[in-house]
Amino acid sequence: MFNNPKKKSPLPAKSLKKMPHYKAGITYKEWHKPKPETNKWRNIRWSVLIAVNGLFVVSYLFGLSILEGSLSGSRALGFYLIDTYNALQVIIISLFDGHFAALTINFWIGFSTILILSVFGGRTYCSWVCPYHLLAEFAEKLHNYFVKKKKIKEHTYSIYLRFVFWIGFLFVALFTKNIVFEDINPVGIISRSLIYGPSLLLLWIGALLLFEIAYSKRFWCRYACPVGATWAITGKIAMLDVKFDLDKCGYCRDCQEVCLVPHTLWFVEKGKATQEVHFTDSDCTRCGLCIDICSGNALNFTIKGMDKI
Amino acid sequence: MKETKESSRRKFIKSAGIALAGLTLLGGGIGYYKSVDGPKFTRKPNFLRPPGAIDEETFVYACIKCGLCVQICPVEAIKLADINKGLNYGTPYIDVREQACDFSCDSLQCVETCPTAVLNFKPFEIAGGNAIKKYYKEHKATNPGFNPFSVQIVAMKSRVRMGKATINKETCLAYHNKGFNGRPRGKNFKGIYRSPNSQTGKPAPLSEKIFDRKICNLCVTECPIGDKAIVMLASGKEAKLRPQVLDGCTGCGVCVMVCPTQQASIIVEPIEEDNHV
Repeated sequence: MFNNPKKKSPLPAKSLKKMPHYKAGITYKEWHKPKPETNKWRNIRWSVLIAVNGLFVVSYLFGLSILEGSLSGSRALGFYLIDTYNALQVIIISLFDGHFAALTINFWIGFSTILILSVFGGRTYCSWVCPYHLLAEFAEKLHNYFVKKKKIKEHTYSIYLRFVFWIGFLFVALFTKNIVFEDINPVGIISRSLIYGPSLLLLWIGALLLFEIAYSKRFWCRYACPVGATWAITGKIAMLDVKFDLDKCGYCRDCQEVCLVPHTLWFVEKGKATQEVHFTDSDCTRCGLCIDICSGNALNFTIKGMDKI
Repeated sequence: MKETKESSRRKFIKSAGIALAGLTLLGGGIGYYKSVDGPKFTRKPNFLRPPGAIDEETFVYACIKCGLCVQICPVEAIKLADINKGLNYGTPYIDVREQACDFSCDSLQCVETCPTAVLNFKPFEIAGGNAIKKYYKEHKATNPGFNPFSVQIVAMKSRVRMGKATINKETCLAYHNKGFNGRPRGKNFKGIYRSPNSQTGKPAPLSEKIFDRKICNLCVTECPIGDKAIVMLASGKEAKLRPQVLDGCTGCGVCVMVCPTQQASIIVEPIEEDNHV
């Protein structure tokens, strides 16, 4: 995991004889013909996302103890779960302000459970649970449409900006003694609005989505969100990953086209891969769009280390 | 355009600069906002923090706005503040005029459920434990029918200090020797509570109850704490009975909710009790 495959020298691009269509004895066009749109993983993922958020709403509406609370802190069947970035801010302020000792055991259980989960799945939370992600996915589609029509230009920033925000919001929290980030956090705002009734802050969510449609694609998720950044940090050692087989790849780059974080799929370009097998890095949200579209089934979900057992 | 290492670094520095400026503005803004209004801004009558709330300054940062206290409250007294409520966004509050805390959960569940202890359960745990110990000391021959829970809950809810009620003598019906007959808040009022005289022991809608009192004493008869918190005392030249708030008042606000005057003649003013232990 500390052996960065990006820094290795790339393998030579595959020759025609090694291309998957040649091996199957068909033309490249036949091999690359559009698959019937199954969208298997996308449908599963959207169902999970809606089910999780729906479970929060149902639990509140009918007073069930299935999934209480909201996405910033909840109790699943009596078991506490606390959002790590939220918890981190509380921990840092209370360390300096003396509330630290009062934090309950349930807080620590919730915090460490999510930490352990994130070590397993990395940013899976983003595309499988986060309600803002779903809205932003549609915003992204709109954005792509407008770019294609040449109505707007694309604006990109450095993806490392997230870590500036990540540290920045921690400092702001510490200096103002207030979890300022929670006032603008789309995850919390949408989750709370769904469960406890709409908040005026939904206007801010609207503005953010408009900005993403009209100016910079997926601005919040890619460059700002410290919640996602937290999952990405712990996801460095995530076990659940998307595995790439160079052997089955036809260099079509369809996967990069649909990918929500295309820089994680750097190895699919011709002559870029440095190993026969690659895993997506910690920024991958495990959304499965690339798996759905791949003509050669070169991409698949995998749990690292399972083959060794 | 191909991105080189140099250009991508420059890009990062540029956007990082903008991000830092934004964060500074945001942080400074919130800091200024807090120094101007301060916690006092939030401490307005009838807007209370749930039971066991620690000092406002700590409360604001340590509350993670999860809403578990909102979910567990059987009478739905607790709500999460929106930005126009004058409270920190997402923090819980009780508007006692609309729906008071009536202690019908019997165990201060909202406090017990709070993961960051901004609703601190420790003082209640201690108060409940001491009450049980005291009971056993006083009743040396252990009573086989004794249920420690009943002693414990009385001690626990008596320890609550959300605020303290004060009576507006100008408008209070009793102070004008007036009685009350009818539904205190009309037919459409949504609030529910468990009356001390309740047969079922369950919260019931206030709108279903019809009272008939020669001298209005709803705040006294409906108080879940009873004669330690509020009583009718003879006072004045004519020695008429008037409600008097005592030190045992927990600030639960049931009196505010049941008060039949147009504007409540009794209000609960928040007090900052040190609930750190």
